[in-house]
Amino acid sequence: MGLNVEERADSVATFRWVEVRLMEILAAWVPTTPEMEVKLAFGTNIWDAAQHADAFGKRAAELRLPLQHSLEPAPEYIGLLDELAAMSDTDQRVAAFYDVLLPGLRKRFVAYLDTVDTLLDAPTVRIIERILGDVDRILGECEELRAQIPAARPRDSEWVRAFRARDAGIDPIIVYRPHQSSAASPM
Amino acid sequence: MSSASSDIRVVRGVPLRCDPAREPCFTVVDDQTEMIRINDDSEASQREKLSVELNSELQSLEIAAQSLSEFPEAPWELRLGLARQCWDEARHARLASRRLIERGGWKGEFPVINQEWGVVCAVDSLLGRLAIQNRTFEAGSLDSSLELLAWWRRLGDDDTADVLEGIHADEVFHVRLANDWIERMTLDNPRAQLEVAAAMIAVKRRLAMLRSGTESRLKVTVPVNTTDRRAAGFTDDEIAELTRRND
Repeated sequence: MGLNVEERADSVATFRWVEVRLMEILAAWVPTTPEMEVKLAFGTNIWDAAQHADAFGKRAAELRLPLQHSLEPAPEYIGLLDELAAMSDTDQRVAAFYDVLLPGLRKRFVAYLDTVDTLLDAPTVRIIERILGDVDRILGECEELRAQIPAARPRDSEWVRAFRARDAGIDPIIVYRPHQSSAASPM
Repeated sequence: MSSASSDIRVVRGVPLRCDPAREPCFTVVDDQTEMIRINDDSEASQREKLSVELNSELQSLEIAAQSLSEFPEAPWELRLGLARQCWDEARHARLASRRLIERGGWKGEFPVINQEWGVVCAVDSLLGRLAIQNRTFEAGSLDSSLELLAWWRRLGDDDTADVLEGIHADEVFHVRLANDWIERMTLDNPRAQLEVAAAMIAVKRRLAMLRSGTESRLKVTVPVNTTDRRAAGFTDDEIAELTRRND
């Protein structure tokens, strides 16, 4: 049966790290994206990522970690997010974020729900279920954006497929730490 | 953090952060004298006000986002407040854009200037930015937007006035965010107090240089909005001082 308390805490703190990183990436993109409607979509989704991070950060404290505690994911995933952050073309940013990173994260959240005892870990389950609802809304809004703004449409579907394959190939993203010597850092 | 020199440009002797990205449809100017200001009740004047509102909201979004990105060490609750502000400003820009289009305008119809962004984001301190952008510029709009609201209502455009009234309510909380955090972070912290004071002195000097020669067009004194400034965390003494300066 499922994950123990420490493993669930590690998962939640890692999810928080990822959401904070996504928030920061979107924030950095806002001033450097020329297309107004895309800029506004990024600005809106900053708040979504921040709320998700905050919910995970509060839950981390219920699982014996400090309040708003983060744990780094697997180095390969950090590298993928660094690549995401460095993208400058609008179509690449939109495709990488909304076609690859968010759906990939969605799968990881669903996999977490499939792993845990949903009664024992109900508070985390509720948080993730709400986030899944947000992700569906965000992906729907992205489709509306693309219908309106050609620059937001993917120009290189092969590149998107390759980036998606790399994202999917990083599994798991959570690094369970030996808790006696945990060197986790607050963020 | 500190801005790289390549991020800074100089206008009228004032170091400004390089402009945020804009689409080619926008004519971006450096000097207030290049802006088109229409001071009558015409349709063009109304669209011009909505264009200014749109670019102002875009800059507010960009400033909050840039600070979120450049100050990762800031307390989480403050970052959360900035993230919320990003969403608010994005909604405000959408509302202004929607209203502009409904009134027959379009993005890029009038020149835009990104001076607030340039001044605020040239400051290397988060407290300094909050003091300038939220506690000064946005607090100033709490005063001026009441007259603008009345202007739209007098022209019979209640839809625009209602939108601006909703935006105004949100802005109170952005000013409050800055006032609360400046108070918390400067309490018993002389270095933080100096940061805020230095940023305010620098911005006053820089704005004076940027506006040199345009005073007759820009210097308009509006009554202090006591109610909303109090709700935004200004003390009675601070409000009294602002009122005294206006007299």
